Amino acid sequence: MNEIIIGIVGIFLLMLLFLTNIEISFAMGIIGYLGYAMIVSPQGATTIITKDLFETFASYGLTVVPLFVLMGQIAFNAGVAKRLYDGSYKFLGHIPGGLALATVVGVTVFKAICGSAAATTATFASVAVPEMDRFGYSKKLSTGIVAVAGTLGNLLPPSVTLIIFGMITEQSIGKLFLAGFFPGLLLSALFALIIVGWCKVDPLVGPKGNRYTWKERIASLPAIIWPIVIFVLMVGGLMGGMFTPTEAGSVGTLAVLLFALFSGQLGFTGLKKSIVESLRTSCMVLMLIATSTILGHFFAVTKIPAIAAHWVVQLPIHRHFIMALIMLIYLLGGSFIDDLAFMMLATPIFFPAIVKLGYDPIWAGIMICLTVMIGCVVPPVAMNVFVVKNITKVPFGIIYKGVCPFLISLILLVVLLFIFPDIVLYLPNLLMK
Amino acid sequence: MRWFLHLMDVVSRYTDVIAGAALVSIMLLTSFDVVLRYLGRPILGAYDMVTLGGAFVIGFAVPRTSWDKTHVSVDILVERIPERKDIFDLSTRAVAIFFFAVLAWNLTKMGTGFLKTGESTLTLALPLYPIAFALGFCCFIQCFVLLSDMVKIVFGEADHE
Repeated sequence: MNEIIIGIVGIFLLMLLFLTNIEISFAMGIIGYLGYAMIVSPQGATTIITKDLFETFASYGLTVVPLFVLMGQIAFNAGVAKRLYDGSYKFLGHIPGGLALATVVGVTVFKAICGSAAATTATFASVAVPEMDRFGYSKKLSTGIVAVAGTLGNLLPPSVTLIIFGMITEQSIGKLFLAGFFPGLLLSALFALIIVGWCKVDPLVGPKGNRYTWKERIASLPAIIWPIVIFVLMVGGLMGGMFTPTEAGSVGTLAVLLFALFSGQLGFTGLKKSIVESLRTSCMVLMLIATSTILGHFFAVTKIPAIAAHWVVQLPIHRHFIMALIMLIYLLGGSFIDDLAFMMLATPIFFPAIVKLGYDPIWAGIMICLTVMIGCVVPPVAMNVFVVKNITKVPFGIIYKGVCPFLISLILLVVLLFIFPDIVLYLPNLLMK
Repeated sequence: MRWFLHLMDVVSRYTDVIAGAALVSIMLLTSFDVVLRYLGRPILGAYDMVTLGGAFVIGFAVPRTSWDKTHVSVDILVERIPERKDIFDLSTRAVAIFFFAVLAWNLTKMGTGFLKTGESTLTLALPLYPIAFALGFCCFIQCFVLLSDMVKIVFGEADHE
C-alpha cells in the first residue's frame, strides 16, 4: 500500500477511534505509532514515539504551559475575578447593560493573568450571572455574554492556545502574545458595542444597576490595577528580551501567589487546589502535544501535508477563500472533537499550506485561535456554553440564543483581520522585529 | 479487587505529589534565577534543572490525570448506545495499555542507553538516564491505572454518569 493511502486510512481510523470514547491524545499516539510502523518500520516507530514523549515532557519551552495554567488557577482560587468584577461594576453598573459591560471589562483584565478560557468562563459564570439575575437582566444576555467573553482567553495574552500554536509551528510565543493584544481588545470593544446596542433596542434586557460614589469607585481601583501591573511586568519583560516565556510564567505566577498569600486571599487549601487543577490541565495539554507530535511524524512520512500544501496553492480561487475554507474545516473538526485537540491535529497538515499561500505565520496563528474561540461557543461541542450551563443551570437553548448576537462580533473581527492584517501584525513588527 | 483499586488510588496520589512539588520548584527556581541574574549571580544550570523538572511535572501527573479521567474524549456515539459502552471502554483500555507498555519498555531501554553512553545536560552535566527511567516508571504505573479502569468495569464500579 502506498504511503498516501496509508495516511488517508490512518485519518479515517483515527476519526473512528475518536467515537469509541477513547482519550483523544491516546488515539492520536496509537494511530501515529501504527501508521509510522507500517510505512517505516516497527522498530523505527517505537524509537520515534519514545523520543517524542521524552522530548515533549523534558522540554524547557513547554514548561511554560503548567506555569501559566498555575498562575490562572491561583488567581481563580484567590477570588481575584470577583474583586475585578466588583470594581468594574462600580464604574459601569449604573448604565443600561452596565453589569454585562462590567463582565467584559472584568474578563479582559482577569485574562491578563489567567491563560485558561474555561477557568475564566467558570469564574464569571459564578460571579457575574447571579449579580445580573439580581438586577433582572435577561438570562439570554447574562449567560450569553459570560460564555462569549470567556473565549477572550484564547486570544489575549498569556493564552495557552497561542503558546501551543507557537510550539507546534515553531513561532515566537512573544510575537504571538503581542499579535493577540489588539484583536483581543478590539473584540472586547465589539462585545461592549453589541451590549449597548442590544440594551438600546430592548431596555428590559439589561436594566440599570446601583450608582456608586467616586470615592467608592476609586477605592475599588487596586483590584483592577494589580493584575494589569503583573501583566505589564510579564509581557513587557518578554518583549524586552528580559524573560523567556517560561521565566515570564514563573515570575508572573510567583507575583500572583505572593499577592494572594500576603493579602490573605489564598490559604493552603486554595494553593493545593490550584496546583492539582493546573497539573490536570497541563498534563492533558502536554499529552495532546506529545501525541500530536507522534501523529505529525506519521503524517510527515505519508507526505500528505506537503501534497495538501502543493494542491491548495494550485487551486484556481482567491487565497482568502482558501484560508476561510481552512478555518471552516477547523470549526467543523473542532465541533466533532475538542477545538484545542483538533487544532493540534490539523495544524501540522494545514500550516505548511497557509504559509505557502503567502500568509504571515503569526497572523495565521491569530486567525486559527479566533476559529477555536468561535468553536468554543457554537454547537454541538461548545466548551464555554457547557461550563456556563453547568454552573448556572440555564438551558442550552437560552444560552445559545444569548451567544448569537455576540457571534456577529467574532465574525466581524475575522473579516476585519482579513482586510487589515496589520491589526495583528503591527505590535509584533514594531516591538519584536 | 478493592485492594487493587485502593492501591492505584494511593500510588497515583503519591505520583501527583511529586509532580506538584516539581511544579512549585520550577516556578521558584526560575523566579530566583531571574532575580539573581539581575544581581549578577545567576543560578548555574537553571535551564537544565527546569528542563528535567518539567519531565517530572508532566510525567508524574499522567497516572492521576487518567485516574481522574481529565483527558479529553468524545462520548457522542457511546452515549447513544450505552449498552455497548463497557465493551468500547474495555477495548480502548486494552489498546491504551499496549501503547503505554511499549512506551514504558522503550523509555527504560532509552534510560539504559543513556546510562551506558553517559548522556547528560549541557551546563551541569546532569545525567539524563534518571529522567528516562522515571518517565518509564510513570508509563508503567499508567498501565496499572488503565487496568484498574478495566477492573472497575468488570466488577461494576465504573463511573457511568
